[in-house]
Amino acid sequence: MLKKLIITAVCVSFINIAFAQQIPSIQLTDLIGKKLNTQVFNDSTQQQPIVLAFWATWCLPCINELSTIQDDYESLQQKNAFQFFAIATDDSRTIKKVAPLVNGKGWSFSILLDVNQDFKRALNIANIPTILVLKKGKIVYKHNGFAKGDEQKLYEILATNN
Amino acid sequence: MYVKSVTIFFIFLLNILFSKAQLSGSIESNSALFVNDGKIVLASNEATQKLRNNTYLRLDYKLKKFSVGIQAESYSPKALLNYSPDFKNAGLGTFYLQYNNDSLRINATIGHFYEQFGNGLVLRTWEDRQLGIANSIMGVQVKINTYKPLQLTALHGKQRNGFSLTNGTITGINAELNISEITKSSKWQYSIGGSLVNRNEHLIGLNKKNILLTSTRISIKKGLFYTDFEYAFKQAEPLIENGIPNNNFSFDGDVYLLNLGFSKQRLGVNLNVRRTENFTVYSQQNVYGNAFNAGILSYVPALTKQFDYSLTNIYVYMAQSRLTFNPIATKAGEIGGQIDLFYKIKPKTFLGGKYGTQISINASKWNGLSGRYNTTQRKYKANFLQAGTLNYHEWSVEIRKKWSKSYVNSFTITNQFYDAVQIEETFGHVNATTFVFDQTIDLPKQKSIRFDIQHQWANAIHKNWIAASTEINFSSKWTVFATDLYNYGNDNTARKIHYYVAGFAFKPNAFRLQLSYGRQRGGLQCIGGICRFVSENAGFSMQLNYSF
Repeated sequence: MLKKLIITAVCVSFINIAFAQQIPSIQLTDLIGKKLNTQVFNDSTQQQPIVLAFWATWCLPCINELSTIQDDYESLQQKNAFQFFAIATDDSRTIKKVAPLVNGKGWSFSILLDVNQDFKRALNIANIPTILVLKKGKIVYKHNGFAKGDEQKLYEILATNN
Repeated sequence: MYVKSVTIFFIFLLNILFSKAQLSGSIESNSALFVNDGKIVLASNEATQKLRNNTYLRLDYKLKKFSVGIQAESYSPKALLNYSPDFKNAGLGTFYLQYNNDSLRINATIGHFYEQFGNGLVLRTWEDRQLGIANSIMGVQVKINTYKPLQLTALHGKQRNGFSLTNGTITGINAELNISEITKSSKWQYSIGGSLVNRNEHLIGLNKKNILLTSTRISIKKGLFYTDFEYAFKQAEPLIENGIPNNNFSFDGDVYLLNLGFSKQRLGVNLNVRRTENFTVYSQQNVYGNAFNAGILSYVPALTKQFDYSLTNIYVYMAQSRLTFNPIATKAGEIGGQIDLFYKIKPKTFLGGKYGTQISINASKWNGLSGRYNTTQRKYKANFLQAGTLNYHEWSVEIRKKWSKSYVNSFTITNQFYDAVQIEETFGHVNATTFVFDQTIDLPKQKSIRFDIQHQWANAIHKNWIAASTEINFSSKWTVFATDLYNYGNDNTARKIHYYVAGFAFKPNAFRLQLSYGRQRGGLQCIGGICRFVSENAGFSMQLNYSF
């Protein structure tokens, strides 16, 4: 009897655990050294979807993914406004290449630097590229890897969450 | 009745406790089943266990300001090929308890943690599962940023090695001060930083127990320009040869690292220059120079282009920061630099076409340190700014062009000089030129096909290679791929081998499963400028990962 009740108690309590991942609190910097705490992505009043794209300067599928999205960026923003953060997971070997590469390719995304991959690790991201879409502080879409055509699924998610 | 009341109270209490709790985690499992296919045969000590698996289960539990987490790992029946023998069986790899207060900006961790001071020259701990690097520190870490311009970090503990810890005890403090945040300057951005790291180790036969590492840094940005400089110094530590310390010979070491950059819309240039002398630091001295990067505390990566294609990754440079009196190649460090240029030709111009043309250029050159070296007496004196033997140089040009909404291609040419004597302490040097032509075609209904062909002309070592790969994307969930590398120019007929791989990936949302069969070329596998050697092998391979 006691055993059954304890099992019930643990099960009921487990139901209350939110399995949907919240964004952990990590300090990142932008390209001019301004700090940003990733807690801001948990804002439940934020109406616009937020895209977090994890990439690195040495990752060819990541560059292809971001270049593809850049080509459609203006028209996408006109249809459904959203915020887009490209989070560079480059370590100190290549981190200095982030700014010239981003500017050299003419990308217009907000760039954040995750130097020792603390944010990537805290979100349990195994490999890059990985894209997360957040809506009101909740992760509504997660995708890893990039092959041409995958961007269409992202555009659909952005349209349905606007 | 009493039991019921207690249980109801228990349920109520747990519900309050768990009502704001969050559980997240991930599982990653990488397996290989080796096959003797007649051409590729594993070494007899490796062939005894043909099935290999590395599995990582990570769980993080967050309740208000507290988080706890574990990472369980299994290397059973045996770890993947060429992983450190310290990764064996199953166990708890890491665990932590963390307190995080966002309003006071204080973060404290007990257990395992990862950290990097500055560029990582004096301390970097991180995890790279493909390289078999898992060198978190187990101890205490406190980060304070209550006064916004100043970020302070203090840590104390021992570094992880497999399922145990290395002998040395690491104590470190780091400070980063953003001066422009104090002066409220918007035109200039200044920041300075400094680190002190002490390694304390009681090793039999070693007289010097404490080694201090220091780092000073400055970073300046103004408008389109930026520059960073870091100087790191290591106190003299006894020479270690074959794992045995020799108290008669002690050498200090240092690193000068300068970075200059400029970037504006459609143009970016970056220059790295570095001089490294005897700067490889381990948290346990008798593992100095081990092949598995176990116990490595300093992060001195190769500052060269990280290539994307299989043939351009045959001759990969490894930073030469180690002092060695090996008669094959006596060396104390390296000096050199690399430059990157990124440029996008304006869209709607003759050369830019409708979407613009992207050009990336990289060049690098790395030499040993010139000086007087006496191998028998274990003495040397390196010149400060004089280059010695050429270790490696490379230049590459990549042009990427989107021709229409559904067709993109890129063309890459690379030239590399690689001296295996200086880099690997083996024999030979090679000059290799590689061409890569890569194209992607969009097909209807979110499908696409990518295809590349590669050729390498090399005057020595493996000689010429040809390669091709293709990837067909049926949807955002399904991809099939095939690749073949053929060393047709090898002087040894038995080494004229096709390294082919074919497989598929299934990747719905946060789940990924990849299965393949084929042959893996042997050589250095490098990520982030750190390399590990992988023997050539043939068979099945599976990668699975899922996060929640």
